[in-house]
Amino acid sequence: MGEQTVPKKKGTAVYLLVGLLILGLIVGFAVGWLAKPSPPSVSPSQICAIQKSKFTNPPPPNQTVTIIYGFDANYPPFTYILPNGTAAGFDVDVMKWIAQKYNWTLVFKPWDWSTIVTALVNGDIDVIMSGMTITAQRSQQVWFSIPYYSYIHEVVTRSDVNLSLEQILNSGQPIAVELGATSDEWATKLLNEGYRFQKLGLDSYTAATEAVLKGTAIAMITDSAFFEPYLRTHPDAAAKLRVVSTLGSYESYAVATRPGDIWLRNQINAALSELMSSPMWDQLLEKWNLK
Amino acid sequence: MVSLGLLESYLPYMLEGVLWTLALVGGGLLLGFAIGLPTAIFRVYGGKVAKTIVDTYVWIYRGIPLIVLLFLYYWGIFPIVFGIKLSAMTTSILALGTRDGAYQSMIFRAALEAVDPGQMLAARSLGMGRWEAVRTIILPQALRIAIPGWTNQYAIMLKDSSICFALGVVEILTRTRYVTISIGSYFIPYLIAGILFIFLTYGGTKVFNILYERVQIPGLVGGK
Repeated sequence: MGEQTVPKKKGTAVYLLVGLLILGLIVGFAVGWLAKPSPPSVSPSQICAIQKSKFTNPPPPNQTVTIIYGFDANYPPFTYILPNGTAAGFDVDVMKWIAQKYNWTLVFKPWDWSTIVTALVNGDIDVIMSGMTITAQRSQQVWFSIPYYSYIHEVVTRSDVNLSLEQILNSGQPIAVELGATSDEWATKLLNEGYRFQKLGLDSYTAATEAVLKGTAIAMITDSAFFEPYLRTHPDAAAKLRVVSTLGSYESYAVATRPGDIWLRNQINAALSELMSSPMWDQLLEKWNLK
Repeated sequence: MVSLGLLESYLPYMLEGVLWTLALVGGGLLLGFAIGLPTAIFRVYGGKVAKTIVDTYVWIYRGIPLIVLLFLYYWGIFPIVFGIKLSAMTTSILALGTRDGAYQSMIFRAALEAVDPGQMLAARSLGMGRWEAVRTIILPQALRIAIPGWTNQYAIMLKDSSICFALGVVEILTRTRYVTISIGSYFIPYLIAGILFIFLTYGGTKVFNILYERVQIPGLVGGK
């Protein structure tokens, strides 16, 4: 006599329930995995039609407006974190000024830069103001405010590296960039043009600078908005680094909002215009070593 | 050179991350337990269908990297399929827990199978029902046997939890990253983070070891 000789108890309902739960998870996976946004079946003129969003229209009077402010906590002097865990930086000061002007409540939400646009589109955050460059690619998903700061991309190496731009780009050695940033796009563009180097994607420009200083990368692609204030605040690093060349033309930072949030964007644009034409703007630029 | 005063000012911020990490690990382990134990029982004592279902679940979840699972849950499965908007923290615990459930299922399965099959036969011959025998005879032993494997799972999850930074959960590593950028130095903040993880791993495994010693049965696997 053995285990198999004992009649089985009824457990079918439990098995079925668990089976259904697990099957649900599997189906969920499959659908989530396969669900891709289908191409729009509308004419190009209709694509520009704005979808109603959280801040398309002005909120009712006396209603508190809460804006979830998404930022990259790894981008000083524009956005970073203080020891008490609060956000600081030039962009943070500007956003606080705008919020104060309209009596908005700001909720600060640090977000990983590589997925921040998806977070905005998805509604996890309402605005991005964190040194975000206006690019054609991003403009397909988000709409930008008026530009508020201009910069240019730079290739930076150590002072003891006596190579030209062409030699660096054809050295076959690692060149550091910030993943998901415009420097990343520049590296990809240069590689597509036939230059021979390895792209070393790091999580911040600070990490890229560290890689160049430590010799793990021969150079980095950065932008003057980060690099110039960095040199002013790190004189020891300034002596060891040099700008080899600039890349492309000047680009601009702007505040990103969802395309449908017309009211919010108009409010931000009006406030930015007012602030940028006031003496306060220069004071803020000086405060954060951006002038 | 790192300003030690500046670094010191960031220490409470980094230490606060321990709470978030423990919340992720605790939530993940509990959910993993809630999934892993029943699935292991179904896998061992259920029929062919139950076995296939559990094996498929384990196969899927063991094959998907955690970061992919996080993004699938956060931006795909919950909002699109179920129409639910979950917070980053809840999503992280769900991802850690459902993935850990697959691993814990294997741990409990091995523990259940480690109990002498003769005990089940003896219990059944005494007139016990199948479920009653599992609950009162097999499970109390299997749970004790599973503790070392479970301890290891705690240590693994502790380190895996750091990947939740991708959704903005401000656990230890996310905070360390922010601090490195703010003070412009990498070595000491990451050294502190490493020490914190060592303490958490050591502390947690010590607790599980004490538990194991308290509940072990003389003569049973590992029992003195």
